[in-house]
Amino acid sequence: MKHFTFSWRKGLLAAAGIQLLTATMALATEVTVWCWAPEFNGAAMNEAIARYTASHPDVKITVVDFAKGDLEQKLQTQLASGQTEGLPDIVLIEDYGAQKYLLSFPGAFEPLTDKIDYSQFADYKVALATVDGQTYSLPFDSGASGLFYRSDLLAEAGYDAAALQDVTWDQIIEIGKAVKAKTGKPLFSIDQNDAGAIRIMMQSAGSWYFNPDGSVHIKDNPVFKAALTTWVKMLQTPDLYKQVSGWGDYTGAFNNGDVAAVFTGVWMTGGIKNNNMPGKWAVAPTPKLDGVDGATHYSNLGGSSWYVLSSAPSKDAAIDFLKTIWAGDVDFYQKILVGQGAFSSYLPARNGPAYSATDDYFGGQAVWANFSDWQAKIPGVNYGIFTNEADAAVVTQLPGLVAGGDIDAAIEAIDAQVAAQIQ
Amino acid sequence: MAMTSVTRQENRAGWAFIMPALVLLGLFMVYPILWSLWMSLQTGKGMNLHFGGFANIIRLTKDPVFQHALSNTLIFLVVQVPIMIVLALLFAVALNNPRLKGRAILRTAIFLPCVTSLVAYSVLFKSMFAVDGVVNDTLMFLHIIRQPIGWMIDPFWAKVLIILAITWRWTGYNMVFYLAALQNIDPSIYEAARIDGVPPRARFFRLTIPMLKPVILFTTVLSTIGTLQLFDEVNTITASAGVGGAPADATLTLSLYIYNLTFRFMPTYGYAATVSWLIVIMVGILSWIQFQVAKER
Amino acid sequence: MSKTLAWLSSLLIQGALWLAAFISVFPFYWMIAGATNTANDITGGKISFGSHLIENITKFFTLVDAPRVFANSFFVAITGTVLTLIVTSLAGYGFEIFRSRTRDRIFGGLLFLLSVPFAALMIPLFVMFSKAGLANTFAAVLLPGIAAIFMIFYFRQSTRAFPHELRDAARIDGLKEWQIFAYIYVPVMRSTYAAAMIIVFMTNWNAYLWPLIVLQTNEMKTITLVVASLASAYTPDYGLIMVANVLATLPTILVFFLLQRRFVEGMLGGVK
Repeated sequence: MKHFTFSWRKGLLAAAGIQLLTATMALATEVTVWCWAPEFNGAAMNEAIARYTASHPDVKITVVDFAKGDLEQKLQTQLASGQTEGLPDIVLIEDYGAQKYLLSFPGAFEPLTDKIDYSQFADYKVALATVDGQTYSLPFDSGASGLFYRSDLLAEAGYDAAALQDVTWDQIIEIGKAVKAKTGKPLFSIDQNDAGAIRIMMQSAGSWYFNPDGSVHIKDNPVFKAALTTWVKMLQTPDLYKQVSGWGDYTGAFNNGDVAAVFTGVWMTGGIKNNNMPGKWAVAPTPKLDGVDGATHYSNLGGSSWYVLSSAPSKDAAIDFLKTIWAGDVDFYQKILVGQGAFSSYLPARNGPAYSATDDYFGGQAVWANFSDWQAKIPGVNYGIFTNEADAAVVTQLPGLVAGGDIDAAIEAIDAQVAAQIQ
Repeated sequence: MAMTSVTRQENRAGWAFIMPALVLLGLFMVYPILWSLWMSLQTGKGMNLHFGGFANIIRLTKDPVFQHALSNTLIFLVVQVPIMIVLALLFAVALNNPRLKGRAILRTAIFLPCVTSLVAYSVLFKSMFAVDGVVNDTLMFLHIIRQPIGWMIDPFWAKVLIILAITWRWTGYNMVFYLAALQNIDPSIYEAARIDGVPPRARFFRLTIPMLKPVILFTTVLSTIGTLQLFDEVNTITASAGVGGAPADATLTLSLYIYNLTFRFMPTYGYAATVSWLIVIMVGILSWIQFQVAKER
Repeated sequence: MSKTLAWLSSLLIQGALWLAAFISVFPFYWMIAGATNTANDITGGKISFGSHLIENITKFFTLVDAPRVFANSFFVAITGTVLTLIVTSLAGYGFEIFRSRTRDRIFGGLLFLLSVPFAALMIPLFVMFSKAGLANTFAAVLLPGIAAIFMIFYFRQSTRAFPHELRDAARIDGLKEWQIFAYIYVPVMRSTYAAAMIIVFMTNWNAYLWPLIVLQTNEMKTITLVVASLASAYTPDYGLIMVANVLATLPTILVFFLLQRRFVEGMLGGVK
């Protein structure tokens, strides 16, 4: 019992110390930033902060990181409560969720239309953060998609870089079978609960679950049907992929060398470079949907942007910070590209040296220049406000479809579920 | 226990003792509950709310996702609670045998899982039950299975995984309650039954179970509440790409659905509150049934 | 014959119990082994110890402000435990010793409160604390959990073992009701308190959903929140996460082992 009282007092003392410390720091202008993925978004943000505070020593900017779902939960609780105290000045929001926040919490975010020159950012990133002619975001990392593959394993199966420049998903299935036969390794690691593939396919043909006006576009959407059919066909080919569950399992598969490729956003580049297989990786454009009007090799997965809260006490400092570094410092973007593999949607950045550099890890390929070219051609779509709901509806139908279920019936069911969810 | 009449002074003391708890509960439970009751009559997105009357209840009847979540929750309840209660009871009875060797170690080991934090526990289970994780490796090594099981991929096995995980975490906890109750039973009753030639099985059913009835009722009611509110495990262990309830919503529970409606989807607080009240009503009905069953026996 | 049968069944029971114990403890072993391995080893199912412990620990202490984070966690858990034990034992004692029809009805109503899912209460609770200017304080983390209903049940149940004669004797000696509670009940029931302490400490230490909502700055984060953030990386580093898990689980295990002997007595409703 004595021991217990002792440590309790110590805890109390430590806590009192904490309060004292926070009280004395309130002198300078303080800006708080919320983000997830400390090794990626956090690190890029910290680099920006270091650059800004070098010339603005009176501003103190702090990054607070949470798990992504946790951050969204906190943000949503705070906005719903109508209490602004405790909200950060700047928050990172994934592009798919942007419209949801902007439309359900009108007035919560600060429009930056007059403050930022949006012509210098990729169009599709600007469009998704625009409501009623006002743009709210400082567009950050791109989710430009590509097909990362193990050049050594694909060469073994008879495919070189040239052979992968213009392929369809149907051809990918055949390539996957050949790779499995020759190398014993499946092409992909696939998590059936992740609807990312459907999203990549839809956007590559300029379509989405919703029309630009926000109405549901599932039942009579030929692109959605083609995407779903293709994806089910891929899932029905066991040789093509290794089944995984969860993010760690998914990234582990290609980082361990269990699978030969991954189609994903450019933000995965850093992760792939960390797995110590120099010279064995390369990137090809995203495969194309077969038999769909307007199908392209360019699409997007994920990506996120910075938003300023209009209630933020240090709003002006926050905007000035974003404007100075994130919308003006080309050199900064070179640094985070090399350091974190954070690929920006700030167009002037691509004229910097890092963006045109070749990378020996990828066999001397000019990876970033390729992504830059692809990014410029990504069809813009309106993600609307119910993408999470639509994803959930699609994922629910997948096991039945893979077991041979009727595709039209499944689309009916998805449409009905989404319609029920969005009222 | 007979109700003793209390003096006025005792009555005052009674209120004084329970007052701190009542004040805290009033502020931090009753008030928010009333708020959510009021919310359940509102419809709209985000904070753009307006009075909707019974609109949310009508929506419940037409919502396939809700029905899916309800049936999943009931499956977990019907399968998991009995398994855990029976296991806990059997362990407790076995550990109550004074001639058993290593009782203290066994008791500690079986209790230990409930001290882990949710975050640690979910990471552990996710990595152990990965497709080429240690559990599949072991089962294949023992030739129990030929193909690795897709624990978090197959809708059926995902439910099994959740049941395994909850059972792992809480069986020892419930066991301790039974163990405590068992040790309070006067051993001479058993001795008498033994001398009268009552076989062990009959002793278990005719003596042990009836004497443990209050504790069994208590733990069953609490486990029922816990399972109807099941959230932690399905939001973390069977989560994929940050979304709980995977695969294909096979482990989507009512509580997780409330969470999704509040935090992940376009926020519809009124509807979320309506689903919460449904849980409250279900707990009420099930607890009442459990009390009735316990009374009759 | 019957003797062999009895021997066999006892062997079977022993086997089943040891298997259960093994299954219960294995994840802890897995966590400790994982702390010494790399991320790829862990997802690949490696169960033996590796050589990356120092590396993982170093990473943890560079990334995490460990003294601050643990001080926060200890403060929350210890303050929360002390307050919860006081409030709930007072209530449990009050409900059992001074029974009246009204109080019994209130007690019955507690079960109803227990059945409301927490997700439904988070937003109104947050609004309350935010309006009171208590967002991002430990007070907000602690207050909603202090009157833990389960613990009130537990203390009421345990109070039944508190000997009437002691209380009657104390009254004859002229002690006031609160003195009886403080000077007689608390010392007599110390095993009950020890058992409750384990459970309450564990709950407070591991609290996640609510602290996540009300705590906003890095200075206030508890270890549970930090582990969750580490696990959310684009490419999660499992070796590092396992180190964090071990450190986050250690205090609850220590508390359990320190109080273990009393815990058993306490759960038995023992009066010493």
